[in-house]
Amino acid sequence: MKRIAIVLSRLLWFVPTLLGLIALVFSISHIIPADPVRVIAGDQATAEQIDALRTKLGLDRPLWEQFLSYLARVAQGDLGMSLFSQRPIVEDLMARLPATLELGVSAVLLAVSVGVPLGVVSAVYRNSPLDHVVRVVSVSGLAIASFWLAMELQLLFSMKLAWTPLSGRIAGFPPEPRSGFMIIDALMDGDREALDSALRHLALPTLTLALPAAAQLVRLTRAGVLEVINSNHVLYQRAMGFPGRVIIWKYVLRAAMTATVTQIGLIFGVYVLAGAIVVETVFDWPGIGLFAVNSILRSDYNGIVGFTIWAGLIFIVVNLVVDVVHSFIDPRIVR
Amino acid sequence: MRKRTLRTIAMAAAVVLAPVLASGQGRYVHANNSPFDNLDPHAVFDVGRAASRINMYDGLYRWVDNPPKMIPWLAESHTVSPDGLTYTFKLRKGVKFHDGSEMTSADVVYTMERMLAMKKGPAGLFLGSIQPGTTQAPDPHTVVFKLKEPSAIFLSTVPEIQVVNAKLVQRNVKDGDHGEGWLSRNGAGTGSFMLRRHDPAVGFIATRFKDHFHGWEAGKKWFDEIEFRSVLDVNTRVLGLIKGDFHGTDGYLPYDQIERLRKESSIQILEDESMRVFYFAFNMSRPPFDNVHFRRALNYAFDYNGFINDILKGSVARNPSPNPNNLWGTPKDIKGYEFDLDKARAELAKANVQLRPITINPLAGFPETEQAAVLFGNALRRIGIEARIEAAPWNIVSDRFRNKDTMHDMVPLWKSTYYADPNNWVGELFTTRHHGGRNTTWYSNAELDRITDEALKLTDQAERAKLYDKAIRHIVDEAVGIFVYNTKWFGPYSNRIGGIRFSPIGNGQEMRWAYFK
Repeated sequence: MKRIAIVLSRLLWFVPTLLGLIALVFSISHIIPADPVRVIAGDQATAEQIDALRTKLGLDRPLWEQFLSYLARVAQGDLGMSLFSQRPIVEDLMARLPATLELGVSAVLLAVSVGVPLGVVSAVYRNSPLDHVVRVVSVSGLAIASFWLAMELQLLFSMKLAWTPLSGRIAGFPPEPRSGFMIIDALMDGDREALDSALRHLALPTLTLALPAAAQLVRLTRAGVLEVINSNHVLYQRAMGFPGRVIIWKYVLRAAMTATVTQIGLIFGVYVLAGAIVVETVFDWPGIGLFAVNSILRSDYNGIVGFTIWAGLIFIVVNLVVDVVHSFIDPRIVR
Repeated sequence: MRKRTLRTIAMAAAVVLAPVLASGQGRYVHANNSPFDNLDPHAVFDVGRAASRINMYDGLYRWVDNPPKMIPWLAESHTVSPDGLTYTFKLRKGVKFHDGSEMTSADVVYTMERMLAMKKGPAGLFLGSIQPGTTQAPDPHTVVFKLKEPSAIFLSTVPEIQVVNAKLVQRNVKDGDHGEGWLSRNGAGTGSFMLRRHDPAVGFIATRFKDHFHGWEAGKKWFDEIEFRSVLDVNTRVLGLIKGDFHGTDGYLPYDQIERLRKESSIQILEDESMRVFYFAFNMSRPPFDNVHFRRALNYAFDYNGFINDILKGSVARNPSPNPNNLWGTPKDIKGYEFDLDKARAELAKANVQLRPITINPLAGFPETEQAAVLFGNALRRIGIEARIEAAPWNIVSDRFRNKDTMHDMVPLWKSTYYADPNNWVGELFTTRHHGGRNTTWYSNAELDRITDEALKLTDQAERAKLYDKAIRHIVDEAVGIFVYNTKWFGPYSNRIGGIRFSPIGNGQEMRWAYFK
């Protein structure tokens, strides 16, 4: 019952959070001195042509008026039309979301499956050569700029070793999407060649996104495990003769995971959604990150605000899931 | 019996496939820096996305080669009335749209009205000269354009009348959108290639249109399909070309990438002088830019050779005037200014103006503009002028242009073209009628206005050339900007590609002439 109350209270916060987000991004994107009308109208446009187009697009109205009419449309699920593609923003984002989710989920899975065990091992063998190596690698993982890492991975694995493709989601022009997830589509069709191609294309962008996320998880897990490992209940378990492995992986890790799980939610927002903007650009990954870059470069107001709303929604949903998982790991929250 | 049937099927297949296999060359893949999220030829007009317009649509005439020449395309010929106000085009008969229907003059009329109503992209070429509702179709193969005033450049803009299938587009109009939503993702042209797949996030594939009016000469090679992909990151485009993922990419890569590609044995770099002039636009609306000696001092303070030979490694051609060297009407003997700080100081002394810090607004993401600004800023300091450099993205810079109070003192940028006529440069960049639009310098001079207006009314090219010669000399003498170089186009293609025909309008992206060697 308490768990449902937690979910409901988080959902209630949804509305003001989203409203604040829309207001902030709408204001920033409209106040910056950039003119999408000039870009749409083209280099040859006359001043009269630019003014006429501005009126037609409703961009000559006062900002508050534009904001209110935008809010009314958002309430109905309409994020407006892209000033450039002439299609609803929702349609453009929907077409690109599976690409970002496929990349994001695989990056988080990789980061968790590497970062958490390494963090534990590093804590258990504290101050050993292994611990030092893991710490150096994790600090480097946090420090390396993702665009640089992406290019180095391309040079090594695509150009030198020819193990992975350079860019894109699949060999050749992508097929007509069904679910939009290349891996799921290939599995549904039983197409091993497509599956192999999709996985190879996914490898480097996933690695680029996962490395800093895994580094963060290593550090947090290590700190959490170190804190728990010296506690009285672990001392008691040792005194009772519990095997070391059981103590670490069953009891210590569970207690130490509270902070790590919270961090996974943050990682999704900070590393996956924000990182996707850079990684999708370098790897030509046709997701919502690349859509955001193009929208920003062309001052497509609706595109910028639409992307931000969606990114905000994903972030809120992921954090809601994290809260629920949290309540299972640490039942004291719902007592 | 069964064997005979199989043999018959095999023979029939061989007969049907023979011509296809003889010319069948597979798919050409091109990595482009701009997104193909909209395929509407009347909404999209930038050079980066020319590929969708010129491969899937046809204009009345077409620009080819360099120096660009106009060849008859959908129209076979034209006549001009003695007063220069009425242009009558005779259309080619039997031209088919991709859906098999015949193209007629009604489609051309609809195309013109659609462009004027949408007011986007190419409309800027026609809004000033053609009134909506005045284009006529007296018979199915004749179209008549009536101009508001004589305009010598009208003919050179005719290739941009990319004809759409009127009935097909009208069937897909929603809420009076001129079919924009539908045409952004579908094709309705007569072009050499017809749309097969479009993914707004990726690009498009187009298949060779076998019934194209220009025909496909027997014995020649051509691509069966073309694929244009949007690849935003320059490094990924270059690596993809080296790896063989792409057969070609854009011709205005940073020069260090061109040098990198030159080392690859599988890559060829085609080279041609384009029509894209790099210059510093002055905001002439505020002092001391209203003083000609001050402007001349600035012109003597830019290190042209240092910039062209050291920074750009000689990859461009010095262009001392606003108009490209390789275009008719540009004086061949014009020298422009050279880097000479003593002369700059002397001009500054003559100017006798109150000096103040000068703002330069290079384009973020275009390193050449930033390098030019830094180089210039250093030289200005040596003659006692403080320069403040503030880079900003193009969309912000272009917004500042609209207002003389928000525009910086100087902006380094390029002026390219959609029609090869001297008016595109000297007639648009500095004349009063284009203030707030294409004239971003806010320069105004009655004599220049008179010369360029007169040049627009004449149809004889030799007479017009004399007037533009005069106008260009005027601008250089008045130092209305610093004119630095004309860009060279370096088309990077796989060694397997032949037949690329570069034209400054379209930048070598028309693929009907190209083939795998």
